[in-house]
Amino acid sequence: MEFVLEINTEEMPLLHVKAALQQLKRNFEDVLVSKGLVDKKKKPGKIETFGTCRRLIIYGDLIAYQRNKEEIIFGPPKSVAFAPNGSLTPAVMGFARSLGVKVDSLEVVSNEKGEYIAVKKIQKGRSAKDVLPQVLPDIITGLSFPKMMRWGANDFKFSRPIKYIFCILEGEQLSFMVNGISTIDFTTGHKLYFPAPIKVKSFQEYRRLLKKNKVLIEEKTRKARIKNLIEKKLAPLEAQCFPDEKLLDKLANDVEYPYVFLGAFPKKYLNLPIEILSTAMREGQNLLSVIKGKKQLPVFLGVTDACNDAKGFVSKGNERVLKARLEDARFFWEQDSKIPLKERAKNLRQVVFQESLGSYEDKSERIKKNALYLVNKVDAGKKKQQIKQAAELCKADLLTEMVREFPSLQGKAGGIYARKEKYSFAVWKAIYEHYQPVSLDDPSPSSLIGAILAVCDKLDSIVGVLGLEIEISGSKDPFGLRRNAQGICSIVLDKKLDFSFPRLLDKVIKVYEDCLIKNRSELKEICLEFFKNRLEYIFSHLGFRYDLINAVLSSGVDNIYYIFLKLKALDSLKNNSKFKTLILTAKRVNNILRAQPKYRVNQDLLIEKGERELYTTHSIIRDNVRPLFSSGDFSKAQRIVLTIGSSIDNFFDNVLVMAEDKRIKRNRLALLQQVSKLFSQIADYSEVVIEGEKD
Amino acid sequence: MSIQNLIMNLQKYWAAQGCYLAQSYDMEVGAGTMTPDTFFRVLDKKPWRVAYVQPSRRPTDGRYGENPHRVQKHFQYQVIIKPSPPDIQQWYIQSLAALGVNLKYHDLRFDEDNWESPTIGAWGVGWQVLLDGLEIAQFTYFQQAGGIETFPVPVEITYGLERLEMFLEGKDDIYDLQWSDDVSYRDLRIEEEREFSEFNFNHADIKSLQKKFSLTSEEAGKLIEKNLLFPAYDMCLKSSHLFNLLDSRGAVSVTERVKKIAQIRNLVTKIAQKYTSREGSS
Repeated sequence: MEFVLEINTEEMPLLHVKAALQQLKRNFEDVLVSKGLVDKKKKPGKIETFGTCRRLIIYGDLIAYQRNKEEIIFGPPKSVAFAPNGSLTPAVMGFARSLGVKVDSLEVVSNEKGEYIAVKKIQKGRSAKDVLPQVLPDIITGLSFPKMMRWGANDFKFSRPIKYIFCILEGEQLSFMVNGISTIDFTTGHKLYFPAPIKVKSFQEYRRLLKKNKVLIEEKTRKARIKNLIEKKLAPLEAQCFPDEKLLDKLANDVEYPYVFLGAFPKKYLNLPIEILSTAMREGQNLLSVIKGKKQLPVFLGVTDACNDAKGFVSKGNERVLKARLEDARFFWEQDSKIPLKERAKNLRQVVFQESLGSYEDKSERIKKNALYLVNKVDAGKKKQQIKQAAELCKADLLTEMVREFPSLQGKAGGIYARKEKYSFAVWKAIYEHYQPVSLDDPSPSSLIGAILAVCDKLDSIVGVLGLEIEISGSKDPFGLRRNAQGICSIVLDKKLDFSFPRLLDKVIKVYEDCLIKNRSELKEICLEFFKNRLEYIFSHLGFRYDLINAVLSSGVDNIYYIFLKLKALDSLKNNSKFKTLILTAKRVNNILRAQPKYRVNQDLLIEKGERELYTTHSIIRDNVRPLFSSGDFSKAQRIVLTIGSSIDNFFDNVLVMAEDKRIKRNRLALLQQVSKLFSQIADYSEVVIEGEKD
Repeated sequence: MSIQNLIMNLQKYWAAQGCYLAQSYDMEVGAGTMTPDTFFRVLDKKPWRVAYVQPSRRPTDGRYGENPHRVQKHFQYQVIIKPSPPDIQQWYIQSLAALGVNLKYHDLRFDEDNWESPTIGAWGVGWQVLLDGLEIAQFTYFQQAGGIETFPVPVEITYGLERLEMFLEGKDDIYDLQWSDDVSYRDLRIEEEREFSEFNFNHADIKSLQKKFSLTSEEAGKLIEKNLLFPAYDMCLKSSHLFNLLDSRGAVSVTERVKKIAQIRNLVTKIAQKYTSREGSS
């Protein structure tokens, strides 16, 4: 039977809508499954969510009635149920009375403890109509958003004020209350143009009538409509919209029924760099840039919320506002250009990065030292001069009017000014890119110097803040440290930066000198743990299996890029039968070695054939994989290590490890320790879960 | 069409919604939010409805009368309603209709923008209201003021009068606006903007500003001790404006900025605490 719920609110941001729909779907599904109102494997069972900035919608095809359930209530044991004369004891009579049943409905039922007097009761399945009103309020009040608010005279927190909750089941109103708001049986169309009540009986009708009243409930449909209208607008110009998926996503969320309009701005502003132009358009007004080939055109696109701009007012109004903003941007561009970045950088002394961690001048200086260290480690030693220049200038744009007006241009603005001042490509590009990536789907810096600068900048912030004993917890991360750490990991993986991470940490901590409160070794441990967590997150985000992730991370974070390669090596072999056997063997080896002290192999004590063979195989393999480990070819190394399988099996079949002679026994343990050491250079195999085996 | 017409229409509209029409506060403030009619009244538990014009000064926004939209003094129309009514957005939308905006032909948007004022320890959740891409209002549900959780929750609507009038008159230059049928914004304001820009950026005496800042903030502290909360709050407003002037003179380093803002916030927070315990609320 059809269920439709709409929570109608004032305008929610895109992130809130996304978060809420995910939770709604998951929690609603869980409750329905547990209440027996939906069967995931069968139809009916479909549950779908939809959203706009004003609506969270959930649709479900539900089972009307729960199945009847038999419930057994146990009473006294049979052994005390009957008196010697065969009559029932008072204990049994009392049991029957307490449940309000006649004695003749009592039965003897056995369970694992023995035979008992019991009553079997059939619990009639309840209807969805009865169950839902009891579970829905908690699902709705349990939604959490990135930032919650209160309104009116209510303590209740939500994303934005709730205006009404519409809920029907099989066409009939489903009544319940959520924090003083009772559900209603009608929805409404677009807030400005079609606010009158709309009664609907089915989901299909709901979707259709809302569309008629200027609400498209599917995000996908709205986005497609925007793209389609853009194409139509641009066809006569033979131009394209400059791709900006993020802005399109925001627009598709922010409007319920999109229309697209085209506007123009004076040509003279085309002299501004494209980044500045597009930022001025995007921020504040949410306008899209238009290009023809690679050239920017003096026009823009905007999206309205259900207004078709019949008189061209929307386009004219936006033109006016944009012109003013571009005029400001041009003014800033000219003003900023009067002072060279190098001069500007001198004033960074006065800009505090963090009270205890000094100014941005101090930060630039630290970035420089760390970057000069890292550039040597990743084989780019020849680029020292460029690194030095880029590090010294990278924060100077914080003092420009442009960044003050458009904070999102930080880095980019500096890069553009450096380009204008004729710094080399390597230098301006590095400055331009050093805040990247700002999220998991933002690209890493394209240049190596940019990448090094970005890693050092982010790591400096992480070490500094963690070194001040500022707690980072689930909701509290005011400095964006997690994002920074993820950024570092992404860069290292993307740019294949091969270096020892703990050593870089040592350097960064040392460069801070006495600024930090925490003691150095403790801080290093905290940072490593912090990065381990971030790597886990990134790897699982990339779709790797948890046990494989644990296997490569269990020995801690060293060379981050190598960890990734090891993981890929494991992943490519995960379904190989030889690999599975090796894992089981490795686990066996681990178990035997548990709690054993370290021993050394004495070749002369290898008396049996099986152990001599294992020793030889191991030595050969070890020598073969050693260069592969140092060059990072873990895939090949892994495949070679696999070949040890038969020698170990043979060893276990024919050689008794726990020999009577202590010296022999220790020697065999030592041999296994060597094998185990070989394995551990790739991963902790004991973390890998083999199907059908429980750890 | 004129600014004064706009003001009269807003007054009529919000009076009809039960707002008491306050007069502008007689001190330099950065925004309508800072006057006692908002600051104190959002703290207690009593219902409250007020609307008023507030001249607002932001010394660093001065442009010597040469920029068509930036001025160091502008006029806000401030509405505070506590508790926030369920259909307050609708009330606001109707106020635009009352001003003659035909929404059929315009794009009205509530775009996420959470407001925060560290100086008075306040933040809220809401939107900037965009009309054809022009920001014409700030719409905020106050969550905290003076460091105290607000309850019931007040809603604040701040109209930027010049912006709105530029929209209504279809003008590109603030100075081309009409204040009344006979008096233009240029006539009234341009000389003032030139002189104050000179003052804010070049002539305000830094030493004297610093001295005054320490005097007013010290006095605020003493007045708080004596439970004279309204005068104490006035002293905070004075300090805040002096700070803004110091800022426009480029005399505030970043560390000092943090320190001075914290100094004012601490005073304001104390006032808020005393006020609420005196009013027996939150």
